[in-house]
Amino acid sequence: MIRLERISKTFGSRPALHELSLEIPEGQIFGLLGHNGAGKSTTFGMILGQVHPTGGAAYIRGISVQQHRLRALQGVGAIFETPAFYDYLSGWTNLRIFTAYTRRLPDSELLEAVRFAGLERRIHDPVRVYSHGMRQRLALAQALLPRPDLVLLDEPAEGLDPEGIHEMRHLILRLNREHGMTVLLSSHLLSEVEQVCDRIAILSQGRMIFEGKWTSLIGDALRYRLDADPWEKAAGLIATLPGIALAPDKILTVPPGYDIADLIASLVQAGIKIRALEPRKQSLEEIYLELVGSPTLPDPLP
Amino acid sequence: MPLFLTQLRFELLKMFARKRTYIGFAAFLAMETVILFLLNLSKPKEHLRRLIEQNGYGFDDYYSGATLAVLMLLWTTTLLGSLYLALVAGDLMAKEIEDGTMRMLLCRPISRIRVTLLKYLAALLYTFILIGFIGITALLAGLAYRGYGGLFVIAPEEQIFALIPAGRAIWLYLAAIPLLALSMAAISSLGFLFSCCNMKPAAASIVTLSVIFLDFIFHSIPYFESLKPFFITTHLAAWLHIFEAHPPWPRMIDDYCYLAGLDLTCLILGSAIFLQRDLK
Repeated sequence: MIRLERISKTFGSRPALHELSLEIPEGQIFGLLGHNGAGKSTTFGMILGQVHPTGGAAYIRGISVQQHRLRALQGVGAIFETPAFYDYLSGWTNLRIFTAYTRRLPDSELLEAVRFAGLERRIHDPVRVYSHGMRQRLALAQALLPRPDLVLLDEPAEGLDPEGIHEMRHLILRLNREHGMTVLLSSHLLSEVEQVCDRIAILSQGRMIFEGKWTSLIGDALRYRLDADPWEKAAGLIATLPGIALAPDKILTVPPGYDIADLIASLVQAGIKIRALEPRKQSLEEIYLELVGSPTLPDPLP
Repeated sequence: MPLFLTQLRFELLKMFARKRTYIGFAAFLAMETVILFLLNLSKPKEHLRRLIEQNGYGFDDYYSGATLAVLMLLWTTTLLGSLYLALVAGDLMAKEIEDGTMRMLLCRPISRIRVTLLKYLAALLYTFILIGFIGITALLAGLAYRGYGGLFVIAPEEQIFALIPAGRAIWLYLAAIPLLALSMAAISSLGFLFSCCNMKPAAASIVTLSVIFLDFIFHSIPYFESLKPFFITTHLAAWLHIFEAHPPWPRMIDDYCYLAGLDLTCLILGSAIFLQRDLK
């Protein structure tokens, strides 16, 4: 659905993105992660033809955005981090205005999108009285008009309360599962990405440092949180065991195939009381922080 | 084409749905009232009486609603019109870019050229509506105050001294309004051009006003007499020539061709700048 070929962007002398190549297949929810300034918004801008790349090209359904932007953007909807509207007009008039730039739509189609976004009761109010959550809903409604097959969501849950985040997640999943839309999502909320995305790409300082299923980053090693008494004795014993690593936060990493029962037996035999031993799944956040802070990262762009 | 008209209608809606528009229109009404009041003071009134009577005409025949309307129209557009049009046109693109609504618009399959064309046409229509509003309200105020009569126009800079009989006065006045709007479109065009550049809306308005102001200053300096045909200000007063007994049509056509060239240049240059811009 989306293909980026060695796409680069430099603003003045400041490089923002360096030769990013990416392929997002149809029907997926794809997450774009990265810290502020990593190049996520620039990538979105180049996919939408709003930022001119200094190198490479972006394709939507095989159509070059840079050469045939109008054709490429047919069937594309987008939301930005802080959706902007004509605040002095109603939500409904805003939708009318934005959709008029694509084609004339019947009221029924507008109403359907408004209902999907859950804004039907306030759609005729001026946007200036909308809460941040309502603005995000209006942004979602406009992105769905006319019905797209690709939706780009730049920080859609930014600034929402936990309930709003939950609803937005639910809406994104519905877009994909019920309507078959391909979704490209960027977010700082890693737990959200973890819950909705099929695959992710991580950008750091304008370079892609990972692309694929985030679970593949976990590796085969198993992790446990250990609480034992006396701790110093337990730590000393574990240090003598080959292949087992103990982090200061009491997280044990054991090699694949290792039977944790052997460790328990060793600790008990040494007179150590085991108070807790719980398996730990590494979260995307932990993986992300490890990756972004990893010393093996490529050098920063010049 | 109908979709283009729908889009243009929405561009106008965006302009006319703002409170600022009506505050501006109210300001023009207030300005006209002030001018009408000032013209009714004894000093300016006596000055006009002298000018008319020195040429052998009756003051009461030519100190009419139409005469007052021309004076109100001239001073209101000169003092406030340029400022207001620069503000509105300076906002056109820059405000939408600054607010982020331009990015929202350009997520859609619409070309940037079409967006600039729509915005520019909306600015032109707005200029015509504004000048039409000022012209009609000035005429109504003048007629309400002095009634129907001959039209007296004096513009020393343009060497215009015209006395038009009552029968033609109103028609000539009405014909002058779109001509003035055409002249004022040059200010809107400059505002549009700067609005397409990478600057804030206020900066675009200030730069537009600065260009017009500097142009006026240089135009007024005798040293630059030979360069006068190149100044915008020289051509902005073209509309006044319609009041002459024998309007200099070739000169007026020349003036309006110059202004049309300026408008077109602003549109093309503004569009080219906007096409190259990154929207972030």
